[in-house]
Amino acid sequence: MPELFVILLSTIFVNNFVMVQFLGLCPFMGASQKFDSAVGMAAATTFVLTLASAASFLVETYLLIPFDLQYLRIIAFIVIIASLVQFSELVIRATQPLLHQVLGIFIPLITTNCAVLGVALLNVRHSRSFIESIMYGLGAAVGFSLLLIMFAAIREKQERKQVPAPFQGAAINMITAGLLSLAFMGFTGMG
Amino acid sequence: MDLSGILNGTMLLISIGFISGGLLLLSSRRWPEDSSDIVNQVNKLLPQTQCAQCGYAGCKPYAQAIVEGEAINKCPPGGESTIARLADLLAREISALDDSCGTFTPPVVARIREQECIGCTLCIQACPVDAIIGAPQVMHTVISNECTGCELCLPPCPVDCIDIDPLNAPDIVPMPFPEHDLPCIHCSLCTEECPKDLAPQQLFLFKDSVQIADSLGLMDCIECRICDRVCPSEIPLTAIFQNMKQSLYRQKEETAKAGYAELRFKRRENRLITRTAAIRKRPGKADAAALLANLKEGG
Repeated sequence: MPELFVILLSTIFVNNFVMVQFLGLCPFMGASQKFDSAVGMAAATTFVLTLASAASFLVETYLLIPFDLQYLRIIAFIVIIASLVQFSELVIRATQPLLHQVLGIFIPLITTNCAVLGVALLNVRHSRSFIESIMYGLGAAVGFSLLLIMFAAIREKQERKQVPAPFQGAAINMITAGLLSLAFMGFTGMG
Repeated sequence: MDLSGILNGTMLLISIGFISGGLLLLSSRRWPEDSSDIVNQVNKLLPQTQCAQCGYAGCKPYAQAIVEGEAINKCPPGGESTIARLADLLAREISALDDSCGTFTPPVVARIREQECIGCTLCIQACPVDAIIGAPQVMHTVISNECTGCELCLPPCPVDCIDIDPLNAPDIVPMPFPEHDLPCIHCSLCTEECPKDLAPQQLFLFKDSVQIADSLGLMDCIECRICDRVCPSEIPLTAIFQNMKQSLYRQKEETAKAGYAELRFKRRENRLITRTAAIRKRPGKADAAALLANLKEGG
């Protein structure tokens, strides 16, 4: 039990997927313009990431290894992730049409979120057990959500401030992300 | 790598694909797509005047309400034909137009009596499709092509200088189909003779559904009357085709106008949303107080 907790906390803070491993940067930059849509995006990604790490573990253990087909890992995982994303889009579209309108193209783009595939592949590389895989996926998802929401909040504040002309637009966002990353690097070595 | 490995891999991927596809199919049945598609279809049938006589803010909101169970007979500008088409789409009963919403009028357009206009801009704000131009203290005018005749600009006008005029477009109400006694015997003589390689007997078959006739090439007919001459039943085919062309033309024009009005309404809505957002972002009273307090402390 304590190990699971350690896995969870260390993926959220110490080995944060966005800020330390630099995975999932596209939605981090793309879907953080508005606080509300960032929250929706974070929820959808959390859902997909957690389920994807569980499903990919099952596929790896019960299909790929018995048939000695590990070389098909990436393509099999991508298929699983894509169908999970479609599934979550169906659910969102039926239950929250408004959120579906706001997120729009970003929901299908979760498929190409490298953090999702990254979690599945890292789970295999570290040969984690089923529960550990889920915890790792959940931790990665919570870490991603935390960063995305934080960044969206910062960007909303920033919009009202006067940014010097050379730094306007993407530049100030990159600098902000860099500073955030520095802050998260401060956790290195803990846990 | 041996053959069985390749076979295994292919089978495995195919089965994973099929299983996840099947699960997706099941879940899409379990959580059916929200009704937005049917809302769009209903919206397409509405005349897009954005007049709000139905009690909703525009045609799209009314379409949404119809899908959720609102009556289909609340659209005065659409008249009987819109009700009939809605009833057809949604499989509901055709009912008479609801009088409490208004009465059906032929297409109209608003006109400002320009010498009386005082330039108050109130009608500009009321127009749902941005068809009125003008500036404060300057005379306004209506762009007739873009006016949908919704009459929403009438109530705000303080000097009542807006008239609603009938649209002086050419009257292209189609004549009734010419009467003829003998039925088409499907002899195909007309098809053989047609110089444009059309099938007049097919076009005649679809005389009540001009859209289908259009896809069969109705507009290519050059009205040469050869089919009239060869027809053993003496059906006045060319006259019938002329009528069909006319009603098709009218339908196309109506659809185009409705689409344009819808586009302008949408743009106006978007603009209003961004403007409210901008207003909300302005520094408010609290910010001013804080700034003053800051200044006092600093000074």
